Amino acid sequence: MEGIASTSALNRTQDESLVRPAGERELTVALVGSPNVGKSTIFNLLTGLSQHVGNWPGKTIEQKAGVHRSAERSYRIVDLPGTYSLTANSLEEQITRDYIASQRPDAVVVVLNAASLERNLYLVAEVLELSVPVVVALNMVDVAERSGLRVEPEVLEAALGVPVVPVVAARNQGISALLEAIDEVVGVAPRPSCGRERCYVYRPRLPWLGEELEALIGQVESLLGDEMVRPYPRRWVAQKLLEGDREITVRVRAQMEQKSWATLESLLLAHEDAVIGLASARYAWIERMVRAAVHRPRVSAFSATERLDRLATHPKYGVALLLSILGFVFWLVYAVASPLVSLLNLGVGEAASLVKLHLVGAPAWLSSLLADGVLGGVGTVLSLMPILVVFFLAMALLEDVGYMARVAFVADRFMHGMGLHGKSFLPLVLGLGCNVPAALGTRIIESPRARLMTTLLVPLVPCAGRLSVLMLVAGAFFGPSAPLVALGIVSLNLTILGVSGYAVNHLLFQGERPVFIMELPLYQLPNWRTVGTVVAQRLREFVARAGTVILAASIVVWALAWLPSGTIGDSYLALVGQCLSPAGALMGLDWRTVVALLSSFVAKENAVATLAVLSSSSGDAELVLALPRMLAPAAAIAFLAVQTLFIPCVATLAAMRQETGGWRWVSAAVLYLFALSFGVGIVIYQGASLLGWGV
Amino acid sequence: MLGDLLRLMAESDESPLVSDLARSLGVSEGLVKVMIDDLVRRGYLAPVGTGCCLGGCSGCAKMKGDCSSVGCSIPVGRRFWALTDKGQRLLQPSSSRA
Repeated sequence: MEGIASTSALNRTQDESLVRPAGERELTVALVGSPNVGKSTIFNLLTGLSQHVGNWPGKTIEQKAGVHRSAERSYRIVDLPGTYSLTANSLEEQITRDYIASQRPDAVVVVLNAASLERNLYLVAEVLELSVPVVVALNMVDVAERSGLRVEPEVLEAALGVPVVPVVAARNQGISALLEAIDEVVGVAPRPSCGRERCYVYRPRLPWLGEELEALIGQVESLLGDEMVRPYPRRWVAQKLLEGDREITVRVRAQMEQKSWATLESLLLAHEDAVIGLASARYAWIERMVRAAVHRPRVSAFSATERLDRLATHPKYGVALLLSILGFVFWLVYAVASPLVSLLNLGVGEAASLVKLHLVGAPAWLSSLLADGVLGGVGTVLSLMPILVVFFLAMALLEDVGYMARVAFVADRFMHGMGLHGKSFLPLVLGLGCNVPAALGTRIIESPRARLMTTLLVPLVPCAGRLSVLMLVAGAFFGPSAPLVALGIVSLNLTILGVSGYAVNHLLFQGERPVFIMELPLYQLPNWRTVGTVVAQRLREFVARAGTVILAASIVVWALAWLPSGTIGDSYLALVGQCLSPAGALMGLDWRTVVALLSSFVAKENAVATLAVLSSSSGDAELVLALPRMLAPAAAIAFLAVQTLFIPCVATLAAMRQETGGWRWVSAAVLYLFALSFGVGIVIYQGASLLGWGV
Repeated sequence: MLGDLLRLMAESDESPLVSDLARSLGVSEGLVKVMIDDLVRRGYLAPVGTGCCLGGCSGCAKMKGDCSSVGCSIPVGRRFWALTDKGQRLLQPSSSRA
């Protein structure tokens, strides 16, 4: 076995003999490291202006080499491409390992980020397997110290068995010591800090793979001829074959007789998961290195996050906190936004009156179109903006401080508790903002049937559009109790979602409950610029929708309410509405609210536009004042429940069609939601009637 | 160690956090994240979710569902990983795999 002398219980060691005398010749030193560890800075410090930049032969990757001259000797420095490992997944990884194996530089300097040793040491383990002299440049020790980590280079050096030199490349610190370590490892001079003798015997400690894997590697090695693995060490090739390295596999296969290859292939296939054992051994080795050499502060920077998370991710208190925050957001909407909405509504009413006044001589239809259709519809929808600003601002803030990831965690646990399949949960969380990405997000579910059923559940999540209608109507009817009513309606939605999810899980997944690994980010102070950008972007989308889809729908609704005679009672819309009024009557809704529900099919906010057009056509300038005259309180609650459960907007249906591959299932979803929403509305109103409340 | 991580995840009653796994394995959270990345690269785990933000559907709609490159602000899609079929197979007893 080339380059490997012995093994121990925990670490194998490289043969000291690979360190060969360099004499007076120029030393070749290769720099390797993961991206963003400061490798190029070290290269620039070492080579200054004497650099040559070209491409690696036959490749489009940049090749950089240069010369460093000291009083004693000169070094040819080769900057190899940034890479995390030496498995040929990328061109960079292939170039790096090919260069080290074929050119055999006098020394390889592996540059590590001291603040992220766990991520960088894997590369050290792989380079050591190539049996070349290695020096570790421990860069960014200052960054590590600033983040509270204390790395002890001498301990890491003892643990790794190779020289470890602390460096702050950004401040040109440690470069001379790095050159001394290279001289020592190459064997041309001991480090001055160690006196005349070498500091230690160069004996790198490689990961111990365990007896089973060692035996397996030995078996693979025995099937490999020396010629077919050059220039790589045979043991390294055996490991790469077990890891399923495509390039090495192709090379070995091309040089092997068919019979020998068949034997080797069956051995590799029988151990296709050996890669997990190999990688695990390296991670166990990394863990030992880090545990020995890295000291973390006792009172860590994460403790505040941990303390907060004890509450935010608690099975019961976490849900209570989530509901409290949601309730607070609704209260904020009511306390801050609702007065502004009323003011804007008043403004819209005044503007409509002014338009009518200025168009006294104009045709009546034109005056009504502009005042009732355009201003009544789009104007009223635009007056929802304060609600949306508060809602979007609250969501963006919660997102930016890191709370939304906790919401996802709590919601996942809650939905697991209800029996909902884990993979259904993510699209549903997305639905809180908008149902369109939620429907598109269902494609993470592999099973077509499960994806289909989850897609059917998406519209049950109240989106921002529905929530804004909910807050406006609840505010108009229930005043200070509006936040509680809104929270109740949302809770009803989530309960129905949970019940439906339970059914989906047991019908399609047979109770299977796969889990995720989740990562919670640290809490942080909000970045107001980010928050502002997110809110502005979402408001722009809302205004764009109001100026296009909602404007067009408002004009259509106005036209249907105007034609043929100019009076709403005889209009086509009234005709349609009266056909639907028997269904509406079961929920206490008059034909205008039923038509408003239907028009929300275009966009959810359109329910408000339609109610505004119909109320102003009936002589009420302000929707907020007109609503309580249209409906009884029990009917208002039924209306709110129906509109949050009703069929989704056309954009969501289009996304659902895209995911289900046709209109058939979308039609089924429409029928299901139609029946569900009207059913719930009827139960609420009839229940209230039986109790004699609010009718 | 990688196999233990997958096993801990699969045997958990609820979705484990990176910090839970780190505690159970007796390693740092940083190392667990590196191992997760490795398992993703080798095809045993897959990041799930779309990477879309909670609001604002236009960007995601434009990407026709491939939201990971939209760069929306909510990072749910970049913080969740699920077992792949290959990962499931690894956890099955070798006799049932054959």
